[in-house]
Amino acid sequence: MSLRQTISATTLGDRILLVSLILASCAGIVFIKDVLPNSGGVIIEVQGKPTHRYLLDQDRTVRVESPYGQLTVEIRGKRVRVIQASCQNKLCEHQGWVSHGAIICLPARISVSVGVPDKSGDKRIDATTG
Amino acid sequence: MAFNVQRRISSCLLLGLFCLTGISLLSCSAPKEQVYRKSMVQMDTLVTITVVTDSADRAEKAMERAFGEISRLDTLFNFFSEKSELSMINSNAGLSGVRVSPETMEVVEKAIEASEKTGGAFDVTIGPEISQWNFSLKIKPEDESIKKRLGLVNYKLIQLDKAKSTIHLKEKGMLMDLGGIAKGYAADKAVEELKKNRITSGLVAVAGEVKAFGRKPDGKGWKVGIKNPRSTGKNDEIMAMVELNDAAISTSGDYQRYFILDGNRFHHILDPKTGYPAQGCQSASVIAGDGVYTDAFSTGVFVLGPQKGIALLEQMGFEGLIVDKNGTIHTTPGLKGKIEFTTNH
Repeated sequence: MSLRQTISATTLGDRILLVSLILASCAGIVFIKDVLPNSGGVIIEVQGKPTHRYLLDQDRTVRVESPYGQLTVEIRGKRVRVIQASCQNKLCEHQGWVSHGAIICLPARISVSVGVPDKSGDKRIDATTG
Repeated sequence: MAFNVQRRISSCLLLGLFCLTGISLLSCSAPKEQVYRKSMVQMDTLVTITVVTDSADRAEKAMERAFGEISRLDTLFNFFSEKSELSMINSNAGLSGVRVSPETMEVVEKAIEASEKTGGAFDVTIGPEISQWNFSLKIKPEDESIKKRLGLVNYKLIQLDKAKSTIHLKEKGMLMDLGGIAKGYAADKAVEELKKNRITSGLVAVAGEVKAFGRKPDGKGWKVGIKNPRSTGKNDEIMAMVELNDAAISTSGDYQRYFILDGNRFHHILDPKTGYPAQGCQSASVIAGDGVYTDAFSTGVFVLGPQKGIALLEQMGFEGLIVDKNGTIHTTPGLKGKIEFTTNH
């Protein structure tokens, strides 16, 4: 008996069950994609609270304000930097491009965290002391 | 009839095939352990918490509790906040004891312990001296002023009454500064909070005070980089790496807060006996079970210098790495083979 014949020999109930199972399988695929780690993101926090979230692979320039000052943040080429800060010492500007980690402006109480996908197993350090 | 049986058998086989496909796909989506990481500005510095868990909800809740604990401790220990218990103790110096929380009592007790073990090289009563310096504005106090305040720097003048839960600074003008021990203590308490919330592997970094527990998903310990005290940029920032297994590490360095004046480096790690920056080291890193001790002893060992510092670490059963004033590296014997140097030093 050929495949065509086999399929044509199925009843309505068989076909409904078949479609349901296919849909359930597709839902499993979507679920898997959902639990995979996200690609890198940028989170900007003002006074410890997240206020802006961006994808690292979308170039943009953002102005962030707090009651204590303001920063202009540039995201470009999957890196982030502060191009202008209202604080006196400009340490955040001098830090330059960051592809992972954080840039903090303490006087303005603004932090820019840059995330990367976890790479457990490689030699990347997990923290720095000093 | 035979055709119907064949049709039923074929249909069952087809159904069975799709059932297996669906089940295998769903089993692939079973949660696996992942690394979650979050950073916040707390204690006037960057705090990063990293946890390993198979539940994003558990990670979020545990990290929130841990950050909350650090924030709570900051309200107790903050030197610059008038409402902190530390400020209450300081403002009542020479007058009366101040009732404090168990955490403040514990951290001061451990500070005194570190002072005794380091022979006074670590001393939280350094406040009257350090408050005269301004490293951002490059202000060095007059020699006369440094000499005048030395009498107020003496950990033996801290009076603890555990029965009444009070701390009293005996002399007017004394100032306690917990900056050399509070961050390590906070890292310890944050780890305790993570464990209470069913996290079995993670790392808490309060600035450079790092406490790690458990293993990463690949089964390895947490890798911590030690900064090169004479780094010129991003390419030579890390001089060595060490793998932490249920331990803490802290580093004190002359490059963290300093200025150069007339060719001399003035940094923030003052020798309690002289009131001037200690001269023997560029950096001192200490590894031990608890962050409260690594934080305090990294400062004490820095002040003691490489020879006395390494001897003390061996006596305490701690491990350490000291870069002396000439850039020569000294390590405790137990660290040999456990530390990986980069080419940056």
